Amino acid sequence: MDVLESLRMAWRSIGSHRLRSALTLLGVVIGVGAVVTFVVLGASLEEAVVGELTTGQSPAMTVFTQPEGSDGFGGFDGGQVVFTERDVEEIRAIQGVETVVPEGTVSLSGVTYANQTVGLPALTATTPAYFEEVGQQNYSVGGPFERGQAQVVLNDAAASVFAANVSVGDTIQIRRDGGEIVTATVVGVLEPPPDTAFGPSAADLPRVYGPIDPFVEPSIESPTTGDRQRVYSRLTVVAVDYGSVDDVSDRVSAYLETDSDARQLLPGSYETVVQTNEQFVQQIQTVLNRFTGFVTAIALISLLVGAVGIANIMLVSVTERTREIGIMKAVGFQNRDVLQLFLVEAVVLGLFGAMLGLLVGALAGYGVTQWLDLPFVLPLTWGAVAIVVGIVVGVVAGLYPAWSAARIDPIEALRYE
Amino acid sequence: MSGSTETGAGGAADVAVSVRAVDRTYQLAQPVHALRDVSFDLPRGSYTAVMGPSGSGKSTLMNLIGCLDTPTAGRLVVNERDVTRLSERERTRLRGEEIGFVFQTFNLMPRLTALQNVALPMVARDASRSERTERARHLLEQVGLGDRLDHLPNELSGGQRQRVAIARALVNDPTLLLADEPTGNVDTKTGDTIMRLFSELHAAGNTLLVVTHERRIGEHADRILHLLDGRLERIEVVESPRRPAVEAPIDDDPEGN
Repeated sequence: MDVLESLRMAWRSIGSHRLRSALTLLGVVIGVGAVVTFVVLGASLEEAVVGELTTGQSPAMTVFTQPEGSDGFGGFDGGQVVFTERDVEEIRAIQGVETVVPEGTVSLSGVTYANQTVGLPALTATTPAYFEEVGQQNYSVGGPFERGQAQVVLNDAAASVFAANVSVGDTIQIRRDGGEIVTATVVGVLEPPPDTAFGPSAADLPRVYGPIDPFVEPSIESPTTGDRQRVYSRLTVVAVDYGSVDDVSDRVSAYLETDSDARQLLPGSYETVVQTNEQFVQQIQTVLNRFTGFVTAIALISLLVGAVGIANIMLVSVTERTREIGIMKAVGFQNRDVLQLFLVEAVVLGLFGAMLGLLVGALAGYGVTQWLDLPFVLPLTWGAVAIVVGIVVGVVAGLYPAWSAARIDPIEALRYE
Repeated sequence: MSGSTETGAGGAADVAVSVRAVDRTYQLAQPVHALRDVSFDLPRGSYTAVMGPSGSGKSTLMNLIGCLDTPTAGRLVVNERDVTRLSERERTRLRGEEIGFVFQTFNLMPRLTALQNVALPMVARDASRSERTERARHLLEQVGLGDRLDHLPNELSGGQRQRVAIARALVNDPTLLLADEPTGNVDTKTGDTIMRLFSELHAAGNTLLVVTHERRIGEHADRILHLLDGRLERIEVVESPRRPAVEAPIDDDPEGN
């Protein structure tokens, strides 16, 4: 019997048991729909989190030190101050490096403006590139400081920490830990940072930025060159593009572990770390993949329920149609014709269930992502996967009932009431 | 059809069915001998009835000749093919293409129309849709149901259903027509109509085997095989078959094949 004829007969059979077929279909729709919804949710959540983390990011990596055996995310304690000016220059010369932004922390006892002193603990000494490459912040007023000038840039929080708001052109007194007072001109105020998915960011804390010169003095002799150099606790290395981040990261690590001043200056219990954003994103992605795996597992259970539903209905159908199967065999239908007929019926149910489930799942996924204010991502391959899964579910669920139908003895079947 | 085997018994071409020392034993809690040592021939174009009380083996005999079942022992040749040597697949094919069945309970597919029911055996042998429809319509017209083509079985009377079943039995142009109590579920008048139809089929050259427990029906045939307790008790020749005059034999093969 040709497949088209089987399809016609299967369609007739499905149509003549509308309620039963609809309930079977519902089982598959719920199964496939759940899979698609959860997958959409997982993909959308991933897109949102990764997107949030990488917004305005540059292909940068952070170089810092941490006690040996720490598991990433280190360096928040400031680490050791070991990266010399020579290291900065050497790294800048490495192939694929766009720029290197050094960061030094200058301890303060406070900042005074209009006779009001506020106890800000530290000033970040860096280069103007810092705001583009590291902070990802724009100026609300003013612009960057100049090297060699007693100038500072305040973030929005620092500008508003005083009773009288500080603005560009005002002079503030920077009180260093040693008692030295530096009078500096405010040349820029940064925009407040956007809200993130994780609530207010660390950038909301009041912070003062100044140029390396004059805020960081040469303090340590370079073990290589022997002259006194400025040293930094943290470097941001910017690669020319995202594709070269891995290679640059390897080269920087190699330099730090072999020829660097940092290696010689670093206490034995510390190590240098080159952490790329990509590593961070990958860590997040690993977590999200686990999340997607978990929800997919739940969805697959739903799909299994759908498959059991099809198998159940098909078995009932075989029993109900025993006499018809007997008639068919009596008039010349082969076992494989009967097998094919029931299998096609199961596949049709699985296929339609999968297509409807895909639609329902996509709509449900869209609804939930809108509700959670996430970007809607429907991985297209899942459309094809859902349909293939529908067919597979149909075949697997229909195989045993179809096989038992094909094995029915026509004499017994014709006697069946 | 492969596996053709000469019967070796008499003029093979003149014999539609040859039954030789056939046993059929069912292995239940105790072996049940449904048929024992049964031998006879059905000549081509003959009209034979099988009679006997319940449990005498009538249906078993029909299932064997109809290739729905196989003998436990003995030899059964249908249309020059030894059924005991055929695979299940070959038997199914032989049954579909060369044997027509008419059952007491009609055995129509409840969700198919009269036309679809008649065309069903042609689906099994992959005939085209147009060919099936044309042939089924022709046969339904022949049995007087030209105006009931699209009716479902439950919209037809018992007599009409049996006529649909007869049309279905003829659709693949079989050489052997088997009927199991064909008038058992219809009233006497309808039974007469059915028997007239069989007479027409016989007149058209078909080989008929009708199982019945009614003498009146059995006397339509040329011979009556009397079964008792699974054995062929005797073969009775009907001197003057109770056959209605057939004016126009049923033309179940319009192409004249």
